[in-house]
Amino acid sequence: MIQIYRALLIQAFQQMAQYRVAMFLYALFSFIRPIIFLAAWLAVAESQGGRLGALSSSDLAAYFVITIVVTHATQAWDFFEFEWEIRQGRLSPKLLRPLHPIHYSITGNILWKLQTSLAVVPVAILIAITFDARFTTTPSHLVLGAVSTALGAALAFTFGWVFASVAFWTTRVHAVVTLYQRAAFIFSGQIAPLALLPGPLLAVAYALPFAYMLGVPSDILRGGPDIATALLMIGGQVVWLAIAIGVYRIVWSAGLRQYTAVGA
Amino acid sequence: MTDAVIDVRGLTKVYRVHERQEGLGAAVRSIFNRKFREVPAVTDATFRIEAGEVVGFLGPNGAGKTTTLKMLSGLLYPTSGGARVVGHVPWRRDADFLRAITLLMGNRTQLVWDIAAADSLRVLQEIYRIPEDRYRATLGELTDLLELEPLLHKPVRDLSLGERMKVEFAAGLIHSPRVAFLDEPTLGLDVSMQSRIRRFVAEHNRRAGTTVILTSHYMDDVVALCKRVIVIHHGRLLYDGQLGELAQRMAPYKVITVALRDGAASAFLDELGTVTSRDEASVTLHVPRESAPERTARIVRDLEGSLADISVEDPPIEEVIDRVFAGERMPEALAAT
Repeated sequence: MIQIYRALLIQAFQQMAQYRVAMFLYALFSFIRPIIFLAAWLAVAESQGGRLGALSSSDLAAYFVITIVVTHATQAWDFFEFEWEIRQGRLSPKLLRPLHPIHYSITGNILWKLQTSLAVVPVAILIAITFDARFTTTPSHLVLGAVSTALGAALAFTFGWVFASVAFWTTRVHAVVTLYQRAAFIFSGQIAPLALLPGPLLAVAYALPFAYMLGVPSDILRGGPDIATALLMIGGQVVWLAIAIGVYRIVWSAGLRQYTAVGA
Repeated sequence: MTDAVIDVRGLTKVYRVHERQEGLGAAVRSIFNRKFREVPAVTDATFRIEAGEVVGFLGPNGAGKTTTLKMLSGLLYPTSGGARVVGHVPWRRDADFLRAITLLMGNRTQLVWDIAAADSLRVLQEIYRIPEDRYRATLGELTDLLELEPLLHKPVRDLSLGERMKVEFAAGLIHSPRVAFLDEPTLGLDVSMQSRIRRFVAEHNRRAGTTVILTSHYMDDVVALCKRVIVIHHGRLLYDGQLGELAQRMAPYKVITVALRDGAASAFLDELGTVTSRDEASVTLHVPRESAPERTARIVRDLEGSLADISVEDPPIEEVIDRVFAGERMPEALAAT
């Protein structure tokens, strides 16, 4: 499998090298939204004496700087590509090979993130300096945060494939995915740090998978929770990842039975 | 009897299709009350194909050819019935099964558009776990047969349709599959390229012993490559047997074309068979197969100096197939079981 991944990574690199500008334009999406929310929340904090709940302006800046990196590391876009592949008949050649189509996606995902991080990380550092971000990250937070980010990426990726597989039933998967993305927008920690959500919404957020994709790894990397709480959060990620993989296997298997190989 | 490489029993596929009338009202109603119709694409198909055979799968558009190939290659689950291809149930898509087959579709690419074909082939080498020496040998053979050398290092998007089809063949055969499903492999190609692809398929079948099922609307493909044909229409198998026998049974006549000198009288030809065309210079007539030699001799004898040329041929295979599709009764002895 290592040889296959090596070959797929090379192939993905060759493809991406053809569209260098487009690649970096897509990377812009990782930091535009967090910057907008950071600016908005800083304005609110300023109007309340420089604090928002338990968070200072510098804490808020640190959180949104971290979300730039974590958003970039955990984003998944397979639902749109998968729908296109089914409609254009491009899934069939992959299904005919002795390699699950998800592996092409994993390598493309990893490579894109590695390459575009060359643009994202410097921008995040610049924003951290500009907005006087204050990190309370310890080495333990850094290690747990890296694990949590990897789990968040795996979780978002697997859920992405669950929703992508809806395309087996309807070749217009966009509406379903939009609903999923709206829920993620509210509950993942994109709008605000999870700690700022009102009590009932916070409970809902921790019961749903979205927070474990973005808010949890961002909080850990910022150095927000203590180590015991961070481990508990990572436990939540592992549980949701196991559920996501189980659901994905069921949906994929059922979806293949529905597959009509249109356009191919 | 040898073990069949492809063994199909009662294979059936029914699609469920959303149906609505035209107009705004019907569109609104369809939001709340969807109507579906079941469309049988393949019905109770049963046949066996032995190792190394090249079988033509014939039928008009929508007959069920491609659906059958998709089921046999594991892309589609059947509604009912069973099949084994190289000993595997195709739609379980076991890795060993997928390593043993290929499905090539004309005008469909399995190569990555933006990179050179050679790079895609390297990825396939890893996916199919082809040892380096075998990979080099197979690629060398395919390069010779398909004259690939100038094409392998160009991005696929820069290749012409014919060039791309050659590279598609290389990608589809690089893992030396035991069974090749070829769905309209010459679609859209010019006559010269069609001929080269045909020669390649025949040569590859001879060298590697690959079992081939071929669908094509170009009867030249079928005549050049397939001794055996399976005819399918409206999802049902109409005929499974030798191509030559199909022609004899469905068109039990020969076509005699007589070229005449200087508008010679030819009225007596009407007595010898059914005249299908006539002008000042030539007459074409159909005569029963068994009496073709005797009537040909009579034409030569009676026309004497007025005869410029004469030819005796089987009817074109397209005409034979048209008769089958037009619903002419298939002789019982020939009909597929």
